[in-house]
Amino acid sequence: MNMQLKKGTLFASLAVILAACGTTVSSSSASSIASSTTTSVAPAFTTTNNIVLYTRDTTSGTRDGFMGGIGFSAAAKNDNLLTDGFLIADNTAILTAMSGSDKYGIGYVSLSSLNNNVKGLKFNNVVASEDSVLDNSYGLKRPFNWMLRADGDFPSETVEDIAKAFVAFMVTIEGEDTIVGAGAVALEATQRWDDIKANYPVCNQDNTAVTVRFGGSDSIEKVAKAVTASFKPRCGNFVAEHEHTGSGDAYKRTNDPANKDTAVGKDVGFASRNFTDAEKKVGDVALPSAQYGQLAWDAIVAIVHKDNPLLNVNADILKRMYEKDSTNPIRTWAEALTAEAAL
Amino acid sequence: MKNNQAKKWIDQLVEKILFLMALLSASFIVIVVLVIIERGLSPFISDNDGLGQVNLLRFLTGIVYLDGPTFLSNAYGIGYLIISTLYIALLSLLIAMPVSIFSALFIAKIAPKFLGNTLRTITEILAAIPSIVYGLFGAGVILDLVYNLSLLVGVQSSAGFSVLSTVIVLAIMIIPTMTVIAEVAIRAVQNELIQGSLALGATPTQTNFKVVLASAKSGIFTAAILGVGRALGEATAVSLVAGSRRSGISFALFETTATLTSTMLQGMKETVGLDYTIRFSIGLVLMVIILLVNFILNFVKSKVGRVHV
Repeated sequence: MNMQLKKGTLFASLAVILAACGTTVSSSSASSIASSTTTSVAPAFTTTNNIVLYTRDTTSGTRDGFMGGIGFSAAAKNDNLLTDGFLIADNTAILTAMSGSDKYGIGYVSLSSLNNNVKGLKFNNVVASEDSVLDNSYGLKRPFNWMLRADGDFPSETVEDIAKAFVAFMVTIEGEDTIVGAGAVALEATQRWDDIKANYPVCNQDNTAVTVRFGGSDSIEKVAKAVTASFKPRCGNFVAEHEHTGSGDAYKRTNDPANKDTAVGKDVGFASRNFTDAEKKVGDVALPSAQYGQLAWDAIVAIVHKDNPLLNVNADILKRMYEKDSTNPIRTWAEALTAEAAL
Repeated sequence: MKNNQAKKWIDQLVEKILFLMALLSASFIVIVVLVIIERGLSPFISDNDGLGQVNLLRFLTGIVYLDGPTFLSNAYGIGYLIISTLYIALLSLLIAMPVSIFSALFIAKIAPKFLGNTLRTITEILAAIPSIVYGLFGAGVILDLVYNLSLLVGVQSSAGFSVLSTVIVLAIMIIPTMTVIAEVAIRAVQNELIQGSLALGATPTQTNFKVVLASAKSGIFTAAILGVGRALGEATAVSLVAGSRRSGISFALFETTATLTSTMLQGMKETVGLDYTIRFSIGLVLMVIILLVNFILNFVKSKVGRVHV
């Protein structure tokens, strides 16, 4: 009897707890709005919920590109500037969270990893795609640039010829396939390597004893290594030596008189941003335009869950979400939608 | 006579070879520990290529992992990680302990022979599964469950990355290890004790709990020590479900968290300089913590492990 009484109390209290849960859920769903997806039964999305921020960790090049792109470069290497409660996850974990478990999250991935299970946000009302990146209408991106030493300033003529052949290879169909494979958006190529290789006789000889030094941006390291790996067998198996230390060293180590002839000097430098005016000249002499150029774009897309009604953002909205000390912070989805409507 | 000489010579040779092998395996441990100590201490005594020494007190008590930009700052703090690590290990032990003791008791003493053998084999296989597999299970299944649970109770968790997910994954992972060891201890309880208890009129349940478990206490404690060791040292599975918290201690079950090991693993492959070396310092702290925890548990074991039946 006593036992049964106890059981009864237990069930009663359980029922109370469940009922309490029920009220919380139903009261909050009153403020829900339907998602803008085309499914007939639109799942509810509670706009009063907090935004859950996802970010890559400080060693990631994508993070560098994203934070730079939204005007928050200081946070590229500093977790302490981000809004409390953010989550550090890798590419896959961010995509998985947005595609299923976390309706209220926002994250970012490089364009090449964007898939149909998540919603890629428009940036300044432009949909991220290879076309919009190449025609320069999509803004959340950064250029991958290269720079060579001056003519006649290479360790040997062979190195100079290989470096120039390498630059030509980067904008062939084969070169761009490699760049795309490494996750960047390649420029549009029309020629095959076979069409132009006759212009580079250096590639027909055995170059196994020749070392070409590559350096500059560490964000481009993966792309650069992929391209040299693909180019090596096409050009006499020269030795590619990679040391990537940052975009600033692209110019310094190839053309800056104070650095270019030291032990850290490079033959080809990469920068994951546009070269500054100061970097386009040595002293007062402008560099010839054949000495630097672009090889690809690195485009980044902010992503949310498909049930999320948000469609369009700009750098300011994203920065207000991610910045801890923002003067005009966005912390809930309702605030984000208000900011979107004001665009 | 000559034959005897040869035999002696062989004996001595075998002895020397065995000694060499023992020396080799022991020296590996010494070398590993020395390397970790050497690298782990360097952030506190060198100026880290111009960044300045890392402040040891701040390092051990800080509640922000890195106060400043990576590669340009020496302001590391892992105090909150030490507490989270211990908290998570303790919680997973609380879940794993009863489950593994009771399953060990069932397998060793109650289950029919065939069922017992089958369950034992299954547990042994489970104990041998690498932690990454448990981590993947956690990332694929537990995260979803915890996220839905958090919505049900009206809290918004970050995609399930939380203290709770980490504790569940670790508990699932250490239950088989603990069960296997506890089962051996329980099986080793002398039959005379059990028969004696039953003959005195105790029921099988009373005997199991008051005699069998009491006699196996010491072995069960060993199981707990190994379980805690595995939970403290686990990196891969934890980093898949914890959410890599960068500051602040999190005791709430649905908040994100991080442990010493998951922080060591984060970005390890892509970093250089002090940000790389500091991971050895975290490793050093982890070694000290594991030693301390083992010492304390062994002390407790020697106090409560004595059998008074």
